[in-house]
Formats: sequence, structure tokens, C-alpha cells
Amino acid sequence: MSKILLVEDDEIMPKIVARILPASEYELHHVSNGKEAFEKLDSTNYGYDLIITDIMMPYANGFEILSKVKNRERPIPVIIVSNAGNEDMIMEGFKLGADDFLKKPIIPAELLIRVKRLLMKNK
Amino acid sequence: MSGILETLGKLYESTLFVYGLVLLIVYALLAFFSMLAIRSYLRKNNDHQLDVLASSPMAPGITILAPAFNEGLTIISNVRSLLTLNYPRYEIVLINDGSTDNTMQQLIDEFKMVVVEYAYNAKIRTQPVKKIYKSTDPAYSSLLVIDKVNGKSKADAVNAGINIATFSYFVCTDVDCILHKDTLLELIKPVMQEEGKRVIAIGATLRIANSCEFDEGVMTRMRPPRQLLPRFQEVEYIRSFVLGKMGWSYINCVPNVSGGLGLFDKEVAIRSGGYDHSSFGEDMELLTRMCRYAHDNHIDYSIRYIPKTLCWTEAPSTLKIFNRQRTRWSRGLAQLIYAHFGMFMNPRYGKMGLIIFPFNFFFELLAPLIEFTGVVSYIVLAIMGRINWPYALLLLLFVYTYSVMITTISILWDQLSFRYYKSWKEVLYLCMTPFMEFLLYHPLIVVYSLRGYYYFLTGKKSTWGNMQRQGFGKKK
Amino acid sequence: MLDIQVPAFLEPAMNTFRYAPLAIQLAMIFIVIAATGTLLAYFSILRSRYLGYRRDKRLSYLLPKVDNLIIEEVLTNPEVTETSYSDQLILNTEGFQELPMHKKWVREAITGRIMHFRRNVRGNMGQMLRSLYMQLDLDKDTMKKMKSGKWEKKVQALTEFINMDMSISDVTILPLTNSRNRELRAAARHAYIKLSKNEPFKFFDVVTEPLLMWDQVELFRIISSTEDIAIPNFARWITYSSNKSVVSFCLKLIVHYNQLPAVPAVIKLLDTKDHYLRANAINCLGKLRVPDVEEKLVSLYSSQPLHCQIEILKALGRISSGRYIDFLKQEFLHSTDFDLRKSAAKSLVKNEWIASQVLRELIDTANPENLRILKHCMNPLIKY
Repeated sequence: MSKILLVEDDEIMPKIVARILPASEYELHHVSNGKEAFEKLDSTNYGYDLIITDIMMPYANGFEILSKVKNRERPIPVIIVSNAGNEDMIMEGFKLGADDFLKKPIIPAELLIRVKRLLMKNK
Repeated sequence: MSGILETLGKLYESTLFVYGLVLLIVYALLAFFSMLAIRSYLRKNNDHQLDVLASSPMAPGITILAPAFNEGLTIISNVRSLLTLNYPRYEIVLINDGSTDNTMQQLIDEFKMVVVEYAYNAKIRTQPVKKIYKSTDPAYSSLLVIDKVNGKSKADAVNAGINIATFSYFVCTDVDCILHKDTLLELIKPVMQEEGKRVIAIGATLRIANSCEFDEGVMTRMRPPRQLLPRFQEVEYIRSFVLGKMGWSYINCVPNVSGGLGLFDKEVAIRSGGYDHSSFGEDMELLTRMCRYAHDNHIDYSIRYIPKTLCWTEAPSTLKIFNRQRTRWSRGLAQLIYAHFGMFMNPRYGKMGLIIFPFNFFFELLAPLIEFTGVVSYIVLAIMGRINWPYALLLLLFVYTYSVMITTISILWDQLSFRYYKSWKEVLYLCMTPFMEFLLYHPLIVVYSLRGYYYFLTGKKSTWGNMQRQGFGKKK
Repeated sequence: MLDIQVPAFLEPAMNTFRYAPLAIQLAMIFIVIAATGTLLAYFSILRSRYLGYRRDKRLSYLLPKVDNLIIEEVLTNPEVTETSYSDQLILNTEGFQELPMHKKWVREAITGRIMHFRRNVRGNMGQMLRSLYMQLDLDKDTMKKMKSGKWEKKVQALTEFINMDMSISDVTILPLTNSRNRELRAAARHAYIKLSKNEPFKFFDVVTEPLLMWDQVELFRIISSTEDIAIPNFARWITYSSNKSVVSFCLKLIVHYNQLPAVPAVIKLLDTKDHYLRANAINCLGKLRVPDVEEKLVSLYSSQPLHCQIEILKALGRISSGRYIDFLKQEFLHSTDFDLRKSAAKSLVKNEWIASQVLRELIDTANPENLRILKHCMNPLIKY
């Protein structure tokens, strides 16, 4: 069972992601902004196998989450899921250590494959 | 002798009558125009458009300029809220205007700022820039901090920011203002949608933050101010932005883009010389010069306003600070009219010369004087026993009901378009305020304005250089 | 004055009115008008708040149900595998029939929700959402809006069709692309590009008015997000269009699709008299990293206005062939304009793979201001 943290301020996206990643294999936790994300990470001592995050969010944006997560001894893999079409912004994400980027609207199969691949790689 | 006095009295009376009549008509027109402007704004807009822009690689870059002076209490959360605005391409330039508290140190610690050698080019002259900081954490790569010698004015600080701004549009705000997360999207959208004209400035509605709830720089609950003085100001802001500015915007005659929040065309702003640090109303002064520049260089320009509230600012809650603020504003107005009087009724300056400037002169600058003399002559007449009391009271009642109606209409426009506040009770509470405004709030403004004019005429040295950001205590 | 019966308590007011001078009479009339206006305003505020409150309450009840139905009943359809999907699949819409679907606001809310879903997900799920939209007959509502007399309704309908990828006949759209209302005209053009099966880019040929920046944002999104659209060679409009905004938009598309075959047309555009357009063309060539144009750009340089010169310097940095280091160095050392020097320095730094020696020399010998510029450009913390 892999623990995944989804940081997303859209109300529908979490429902879709929950549908794509079967509950039998993935334990999905959802928070809707950067502040909650940090609270969740701190309270679980960063106990997640994967983080899926948007970029533009209230309180703390995806970049800050990336920067915090990637500067730890054992970085957690991060997938950015965003509708950002600005290349600079995506590059920025990769510079900060994002492992993957998916543009909204996402293709369900693609998300599933990338999640699987990242989790495999970090086993 | 008495014949001359009589004629003078008659003349004064009929001037006053015409003056009042024109003012009433202008307000009626503004109410009508603002309705048209808001309706067209609402029709054109849907939330999805903001998503489209936020995800577009073609969104124009925007620089946010936020001057800070001794903002140690709130600086971190306010910068954080600027860092999380919804926009794909922007930078934040924070100007530390020689703070004497730990503002700068807090920024360095929190955002891992280091001094960089920056190719700073002073297109507009300002007090010297001491150091320029960037963050070593790429998560904050859009943040830049200028540490400069205090210039005793917001204008000087913002000018330093304009010099360093990368993008061709800049948003000017105060660091203690709370911005809506879609501010940049909302402000740039009408600029991109404008047909045929170059939008050189655009503003949005400001509101009073005093009783709203905030959480780390994010607005979580909007509420009309509980205290009376800020509540008067909230009502005044709604009237001035939703009804006034929107009405002017409809006929492309916006007289001023508020210093709390405005987006400007950088090229025009620089070529017009930037903010004037000796002005007491630097925002209006810059806009006037930008218009002037545009006219002189045959730029077909427009200045717009949007009805949505995007910015919340702390309003003075004591009479002392309120007095300072308004005295300063009216002094700025007097300065402006004096300095640019060549535009008055000058057809060369189009609507600026023929509509905006005369309006400002007659109905902004002269209004307090006329009201004051009006009251004085009333008292004199009353002492001489020459007042027809029923008629006088009727006229007064008329002005009273009319002003209440105009204010209520602006609250109505605001409510119809956005349904702000949580319950109808809060709105009703707000609606009661205009009834007291006429008797309690308005006289204050008249007195403070006259004081400002007096200072302008006597050239009193200002002792409150940084007042606009230092005056009121924070409780956020 | 008026011959109607007035209640006794108004008698004094009526008397005053009758014998008052005109100004006072007017004032009295306006007092009544203002008081009524204020009361009406209160009433409207209360009414709009009540309606808004009711709408929110209804939606907060309806939307979670709709979401659940969409997720549980539709998206969890066992017949859909990850690889295949058929338009003919009949979805289980029973759950929806239990909602008050005969009400217009309910149908509208469902349409909005499906659109919201489709903005987040495509692929099979996206297809299923589209089928759901049709099987619930929501497209009929959209069609009705299309026929409405109000332009904003038509725009709404077009947005829905675009989102749902529903084809509309050219006969329906084409007249709207010439509508007198700008918003509608723009929306119709976007819809035509997205949905027309014939020549989606036809309107590039005919449009004479400038494309606004906003139109370009919408067009770009539609063109880049439509999967089965045939991307033409945009050089066609670079060469033949007399509409400058179309040309400059095509330059951006050429960069986006990295259309190298369009390069000759773009080079030709360098001869245009409009220097804004020329700057755009230089920018495009730089971003395409066409090494062959460097010579041409450098030869043009001295006769250009400032912003074109800056674009040329930037292009040399982007192309980074290493052949014009001396030129960049020259500009950096001898140009009088600050921005030119900065752009030259930046481009030198971008050529660092071959220019490191030159850069070192420059750092050792530069005057304080130039040294600052160099350090600025070499600092990885500074983005622009």
C-alpha cells in the first residue's frame, strides 16, 4: 500500500484522482492548499511515498512544497499536475527537482502509469 | 450699497443653485454609466477565462511593486501571499525603504535572501539603492528585494522599483494591502481585451480590511467594519469605486487610479517621469502626467476600472490619523490642480482637459470651500432672520435623501454583481451608515480638506513623510 | 394642481407644495423620488441576496449528488477498458433521472459540472463525460441557447460546444463569425477552428480587424489543445496576410510548433517597414535557433531602432553559435545604451561554451558598471 498526498485546490480533481488510483493499492490523502500540505507533512513526519501537487495554490505554492520536500535527506518523489502552459514555470518545477509533470486535462492512464513508475523506482 | 449686496447675494444664490444642480446631474449620470459599465463587465466575464489566462504561455509578464517601511509585524505573511498569486509570469519587487526595524532581516532569514550584484539602471532618479537581494532558494526565484535609503515618500520607493522592473506592466500596491489571489489575472484581462486603445492604467475596487478576517495574508471572511469611522470609509469606498470610478471608466474619463492597487504601462510611466516624491497625492499626479504624455505623443489611450474588489486595506480608525490622511489627500489635490492648471479647459488634452480636470476643479477642489461658505452664509442669514425655514429645511432634506439614495444605489450595484459579505444583516447594517454620513462624516471631510488647502497655501513642511504606511497600528 | 384626493395628514405638505417656488417644488418631488429609489434599492438588495442564497443552497445540495453520480455511475463503467472506447456505449444514467431534470437550472448545473470535469481530465474519461452530456440530452439545451437572441447566451453555447467537442455545421457558425458583436464574433471564430471539419484556419485569410491579445490567448489554447487538428505551415500567412496581428500571431505559432520550413518566409519578413513586426520576426528566428540568419541579423543591426537591436542581441544569445562573440563584445564595450550593453552581456554569457576566455578577459578589464552588468548576467539566481 503506497501513501500518496494530493495537494490540489480544485474541488473536482481529487475525486477524479481518487477514481484513477484504486483504493486497494493506494492510500490517497487530499489537502487543498500549501498550508494544509505542510501541516499534513509535518504531522506525519513526511511519511508519504509520493506527492502529487498543483503549482498555483493559496498559502504556499507548489514550488515551496517541492523545495521543502526535495531538500530533505530522503526526498519524496513529486509529480506536478497543473494547467500551467508557461514553459518557464514547468522548467522551474523540474529545476526544483520535480520528477514528472502532467498537464491538465490529464489522461487517466497516463497518471496511473507515471505514479506506478515513480513508486517502483523509489522502492 | 445695499443694492450691490443684494445683487451679490442673488448672484451667489443662483451660482450655488446651478452648482448643486450640475453636481446632482453628474451623480445621476455616474450612477447610470456605472450600471452600464458593470453590466458589460459581468456579461463579458466568466470564471473560466481566468483559468485560460492562468494556463497560457502568452500571458504578458507583470512586475509587482510593494514598498515597505517598518512593516516587521506583517511583512512575511504579506510577501507569502504575494508569492501565491495566481499568475503564470510575474516577479515581486519589494522595496525596503530604509526601515528602521527588522523588516530587512526577517526577509533575509525567511526567504534565504543574499546580496547580488545587480545591473541596476536608474531611469528615474531616486534616493540611492544600497543593496539588492535575491533568494538562494529557487522556490522564491520570483522575489527581489531592494534595500534603499529612505526617501521619505512612497513615490521614491516605487520609482526605484520601476527602475528595476523587468516586465512591461507593473502593479503598484502597498505591502500592507491584502490582494485577492486572482488580482493579476483580473487586472491584465481588460488590458488584453481593449479594442483599439492602449490601456495605460487600470484599477480595481478597494475595500476596508479592519473587520475582515485574515489568515497568513489570505482573506478568509469579508465583513463590514464594526467601528463607525472605518464603516463610513467602507461606504465611501464603495460609492467612489463601484459607482464613481466605474461610471468614469465607462466614458474613459477615470481621474485617478488608487495607490492601493493599480496596474500601469511601464513605458508610459517611465517616460512621464515616474512618481513625484514631492507630491502629496502621488498616484493621481502620476496618472495626470501619464495622460498628458499620452496626449502630447498622440497615444490613443484609455484608463479603466473593474468593479470587483481585489484589495483590502487597513483604514484609519482614529480621528487623528484619519485627519492626517484626508488633509494629505486634499493637499495633494490642490497641488495637482495648481501644477497642471494649463490643462484646465484645454481642448488639446481631450476629455482630460474638458471633463476630468474641470470636474476635479469644481467638484473636488472647490466643493469644500463652497459648502463651507454656504454654511456660513446660512448662519449669517439665520441670525439676520432672513431664512424661510420650511423651504430651507426642505432643500436640506432633499440633499440628504438624494445623497442617501446615491450611496444606497452604489451598495446595490455592488451587491447585485458580487453579493459580498456573509449575510443580508451585514448589508443592512452597512445600508444604515449613509443616514449618518451626511451629518457626522461629511463635515469632518470638509474641515480636513480645508486644512489641507491651508497647508498647501502656507507651504507647511510635512512632518509625516512615511505616514501612509506607518500611521495605523496593525492587528492582523 | 392635481385633482386627486389626498389623505388629511398630507394636506399641509400639499399646501406647501402648491404655493412654493419652482425650486422648492422640484426639491419636494425629488425627495419623494429619492426616498422611493432608496426603498426600491433595499428591496432589490434583499431580493438578490435571497435569490443568491437560495441558489447556493440548492447547488450545495445538488452538486455533490451530481459529482457522485458522475464518478460512481459513469466513470466507473466496467465496460470501458483503458485502451478502447466506443461512442455507442450506453451509460448508466438512471441515477440522473431521479434528479429534477425537468428544471432548467438543474440541467445547467449538470452541464457546468461536466465541463468542469472535462477541464481536468481527458482520454477515455473525457469521452465518457461527452457521451453523458449527450445521453442526458443536455446538448439540446445548448442548441436552444445558440438560437437565443442574446449574444451572451450564444457565446455561452459556443463555449459549451467547444468544451464538449461537439461538431456544429458551418452554416450555423459562419454567419456568427461576422457578427457585429465582438465577443460573439471572437467566440464563433474559436468554435470554427475547434469544430469545423473543413478548413479550420480559413478565417486567418479573411479577418481584417486586429486580433486582440486576448483573442490570441484563446486561439492559442484552442489550437494547441485540439488533438486532431491539421497544423498548416503558418508561413502562408506570414507571406500573404496583410493583417499584422495575424502575422505576429503566426510567428508565435511557428515557434510553438518549431516550424523550420517557415524560416525563409520569416527571413523575408525582416524587410517589413513595421519595426514592431520586424522585432517579432527577429524574436521568432532567435527562438527557432536558426544559425544561418545570424549574418543577416548582424548586417541589419546598425540601421535598426533600439528594440529591434535588443531583439537581435537576444537572438544571437539564443542561437549561441559562437560565431559572433566579437560583435557581442564590441556592443558590450562600446554601446552607449544600458539595455543594449546588458543584452549583449547576457548573450555573451549564453555563448559561454566558447566565450569563457573572452568573458574572463572582460571581467578583468571592465569598468565598474560593466563589471556589474557582467556579474548580473552570470549570476544564476537572477532570472532576467
